[in-house]
Amino acid sequence: MIRVQHLALVGSAVLAFTAILVAGAPAEASKPGGVLTLTLREDLPQGFAVHETSTISSVWPVMPCLNNLVLFDPLKATESPDTVIGELAEKWSWQDGYRNLVFFLRKDVKWHDGKPFTSKDVKYTFDILREAPDSPVKLRINPRNDWYANVEAVEAADPHTVIFRLKRPQPSLLLMLASGYSPVYAAHVPAANYRTSCIGTGPFKVKEWRKGEFLEYVRNPDYFVKGRPYLDGLKYVVIKEPGTRIAALQTGQVEVSFPNEVSKTNADQLKAAVPKLVITPYSTNVNDNVIMNIKKPPFDNVKVRLAVSHGIDRRALIQAVHQGGAVAGAAMAPKPYGVWGLLEGDLNGQPGYGKAADDKAKARKLLAETGFSPQSPLKVEMVTRNIAIYVTMASFVISELKQIGIEATLKQIETAQWHATATRGDYQIGANLTGIGPDDPDANFYENFICGSPRNYSFYCNEQVVAQIHQQSQELDPKKRLAQVQAIQKKLEEEAARPLLDWRLDYFTVWPHVKNLIPHQSIYNFGRMQEVWLDK
Amino acid sequence: MKTYLLQRIAIALLTLFGMSIVIFGLLRLAPGDIVDILFAAAGYVDVKQKQAILKELGMDRPYWVQYLEWLWQIVTGDLGKSYRYELPAWELIKPLLPVTLELAGLAIVISVLLGVPTGVISAVRQDSGLDYVLRLLSLAGLSMPSFWLAMVIILGCVAWFGWIPPMTYVGPRENLRLHALQFLLPALAVGYRSSALIMRITRSALLEVLREDYIRTAEAKGQTTRVVVWRHALRNAMLPVVTVIGIEFAFMIGGLVVTETVFNLPGVARFLVEAIQWRDYPMVQNLVMFIAIVVILSNLAVDLLYGVLDPRVRYGD
Amino acid sequence: MGTSPVTVAHGEQPVARPAPRWVGGTVWRFARKKPLGAAGALIMGAMVATALLANLFATHDPIATEAARTLARPGADHWLGTDNLGRDIYSRIVHGARVSLIVGVASTLLGSALGGVIGLLSGYAGGKVDLVTQRILDILQGLPLLVLALVMSAALGPSLTNVVIAISVPIIPRAARVIRSSVLAIREMQYVEAARAVGLRHLRIAFRHVLPNTMGPFIVLCTAQLGSAILVEAALSFLGLGVPEPYPSWGRMLSLSAAEYAQKAPHLVLFPGLAISLAVFGSNLLGDALRDTLDPRLRGA
Repeated sequence: MIRVQHLALVGSAVLAFTAILVAGAPAEASKPGGVLTLTLREDLPQGFAVHETSTISSVWPVMPCLNNLVLFDPLKATESPDTVIGELAEKWSWQDGYRNLVFFLRKDVKWHDGKPFTSKDVKYTFDILREAPDSPVKLRINPRNDWYANVEAVEAADPHTVIFRLKRPQPSLLLMLASGYSPVYAAHVPAANYRTSCIGTGPFKVKEWRKGEFLEYVRNPDYFVKGRPYLDGLKYVVIKEPGTRIAALQTGQVEVSFPNEVSKTNADQLKAAVPKLVITPYSTNVNDNVIMNIKKPPFDNVKVRLAVSHGIDRRALIQAVHQGGAVAGAAMAPKPYGVWGLLEGDLNGQPGYGKAADDKAKARKLLAETGFSPQSPLKVEMVTRNIAIYVTMASFVISELKQIGIEATLKQIETAQWHATATRGDYQIGANLTGIGPDDPDANFYENFICGSPRNYSFYCNEQVVAQIHQQSQELDPKKRLAQVQAIQKKLEEEAARPLLDWRLDYFTVWPHVKNLIPHQSIYNFGRMQEVWLDK
Repeated sequence: MKTYLLQRIAIALLTLFGMSIVIFGLLRLAPGDIVDILFAAAGYVDVKQKQAILKELGMDRPYWVQYLEWLWQIVTGDLGKSYRYELPAWELIKPLLPVTLELAGLAIVISVLLGVPTGVISAVRQDSGLDYVLRLLSLAGLSMPSFWLAMVIILGCVAWFGWIPPMTYVGPRENLRLHALQFLLPALAVGYRSSALIMRITRSALLEVLREDYIRTAEAKGQTTRVVVWRHALRNAMLPVVTVIGIEFAFMIGGLVVTETVFNLPGVARFLVEAIQWRDYPMVQNLVMFIAIVVILSNLAVDLLYGVLDPRVRYGD
Repeated sequence: MGTSPVTVAHGEQPVARPAPRWVGGTVWRFARKKPLGAAGALIMGAMVATALLANLFATHDPIATEAARTLARPGADHWLGTDNLGRDIYSRIVHGARVSLIVGVASTLLGSALGGVIGLLSGYAGGKVDLVTQRILDILQGLPLLVLALVMSAALGPSLTNVVIAISVPIIPRAARVIRSSVLAIREMQYVEAARAVGLRHLRIAFRHVLPNTMGPFIVLCTAQLGSAILVEAALSFLGLGVPEPYPSWGRMLSLSAAEYAQKAPHLVLFPGLAISLAVFGSNLLGDALRDTLDPRLRGA
């Protein structure tokens, strides 16, 4: 006989069960096992020494070996202060009005060689990075020194507590620490060793690095996150030839594309050939821009720079160079890909975004005011790096400039000399790509627009803008900060400091059985591979 | 014979010495060095740090000092360390050799199997329709850019079979079928080209020999045409063919850059090109010298083979 | 009694031919006897014409991009389709002929001329000079061809002139070899001895009497090397080290993104490759026919 109490019991059980289902059970049950095959467009430039390089070719294959203090949640596509999760740090807190950042570290972490992880490793790493005067070791190349310019000291209060003391408030520091560019080195391993081997705390251990061919990882059985990683191993295969790489992806020999290497046309082709491929468009945090040497004529004249900016039809460029696989934006990545970018309405007023004919007419007028005309055109030499993506973009820019009366010849510069040429100011105008670690104004502005920064290739130096950059860096109210950052972007475009052409989209392609590999709006931050599993 | 050999070896050593100077100098003519590439990978440049690294690598010493040190290293058998990988050069070169040797070997076999019979047919049936067709086909093979042929093959595989050969080296013991596929396709691409050369040389050499006096003597003796051709003529026609085979093989050791790149084979040429782009001086210098030694040895082998094949050639006194 | 063109090779008896009375007659006889060679000459002629009259033959500006029509299939408005930037492929191939021809011919002539002079002097002088020169040439020839061109190209930087120089360098030893072997035979000829007996200076003998008789092998060498030079230029461009933008280059058309888009637009890969192959094919056909004509070993065959 069914009693009311029985019904109530069953009813509540059903309710509870449904509640659990709705609340958070995973859609599919993750399965352990399997080896994932990925690809690299070139071999690791400096092995596992992420702190000595600044390229995706270094970060992407090395992230599985290391850990950060904090990381952007791999499972959330849009990075923001809310998606920062702990890795080596269990908890953290800002104190003293964003002047001190305290990390409470995990106690159960071991390096791949068995030694325990402590706060000493964190202090060691960040003292090296900020080039502390009492640091025992110096990196022979240190590209992100300026990220830590504001760090006064790093204290290892006890074996599992680290305090970052800052000179002034800087909320962005946490975001920079969450980037793939900020892993922790082992204090007991000479920094130079990371160029040839990797002792990390990460979910995978290096199995074999066959130079020029592939990098193979095997699962770390002592990883501090129980049950992770799901995969038994990873294999990154080096394929330099882009046609061959796409073919390998299409035929399934490679299961994951290399970030920033699948254009829209590639994606269309892949989808047509293999409809079940999972292709996700996302912003790479890499943009095309034009650098102009502000220290030398003719680009010391803001009218000439503006003419260039007006002359390049951004939308046409996006269509021609990227087949639509890019988005318009100013100095910060636009929504929905980034969180700081200018909105559509603001953008439409900027040079290069209006009606093509109008913009070009404006450009010609500006040039005429400075003394150039179709009869006596401005002749310049445009430099660019000697690789396909740069050259294609530069060719289009040249053909645009031709229409407003600027005759540019293209000089292709070999990789070995590109940065030296740009840093020395040995050029007039150049077509450039810039990639930024996290989608954060501090990382972007301090690298590219502060007077005297080595990557400020245009030598742009505006004291007022510098003050604005410092101001937004210390601004604690997110809404106010957003407004300040947008004002800076507008100013930069108005002065044509480094006209931004577009933000590149990539079409991240994985085979459908590869689960939990979600691209973020920066290519540099989602390569840990800890949550990835294979449904095979 | 012995004096001849000694003479050749002496000349070879002299040539190698000269080559070492040329490659050492040429490399340093190219602008930029490893440190510039390292900074390129870091996205910035700092003059002080650059100086420190140059010092660390010993590159701040005068060129003649570095050159002599390199020579000394060769003599003592130490091939130096790669600037990029910081590993002994020999360790990096060793795994490349079997790949390139196998590719070159297979390509030569294919080219001989294709080239010699077609060359013979073409010569014997001179100026016939068959001759023209064969000559045109072989000329087509010589005219196609090797990287284009390689690209077309890969794209064809993708389009028609939805498959491409393995992208990492598969050893013959691991999976013979895959290994065969991995090497046969590029070997066919390279072999087709080489077979064209072999075919032309075979044809012209055979034509020349067929007009020689002793062939007419053999014909007068009454042996059938076929025997005449195959026994006398072919043997003597093989001399220039063997020379070409030697040249081709030597060329393939360092010359299959595009084939290895497009088919993603981890061979010598692909590695060498990357080393040049990285200005990895020790790797480039040692690899080029290695290739040179192979070339010289193969030339020597061809010359010795001449002595075996052609009784009219004698060495020494 | 003028010196008639004497073609010699490898120790055979020289056969002196009477000087042709009508150039046209020679050409006609050549075309009839060697139809393949005539075909080759026709192809080369077409290429030269295309290169010279590129602006006439092209339908569009080869560097003008057209954002709306990227990767278009061959059709009425774009005869061979467009590439990933919307540039007309037919026009780029037409203008590319100019680059390929200029680079091919210039580097071949430069390398062959330099090598020829070296070979002439070395073969004529003989003795120690010859020995040393041969060793130096050995050195140059021992370096892998593409590697040499690569390093030179990197050393000189990407520009049209530098590519020509880079490609001509590997040709020098090969040219020197051929001319030298020809000179070695001619040197023993009676009329050379006669010239010496009369008291003519060596240099004069070398350039006025020996050199003209190496013309035959020289022409054959040039046409043979032309094909090779075009292929090396294509390979260099493919590797990114050839003639820089905006000159359209057949080799570079095959490298920049061609293979990536090949599934959607196979014409990107097909046509530039066909163009290169056709050019080299033509020069090889012509070279073969010339060699058959000028090399007495195969005459009568």
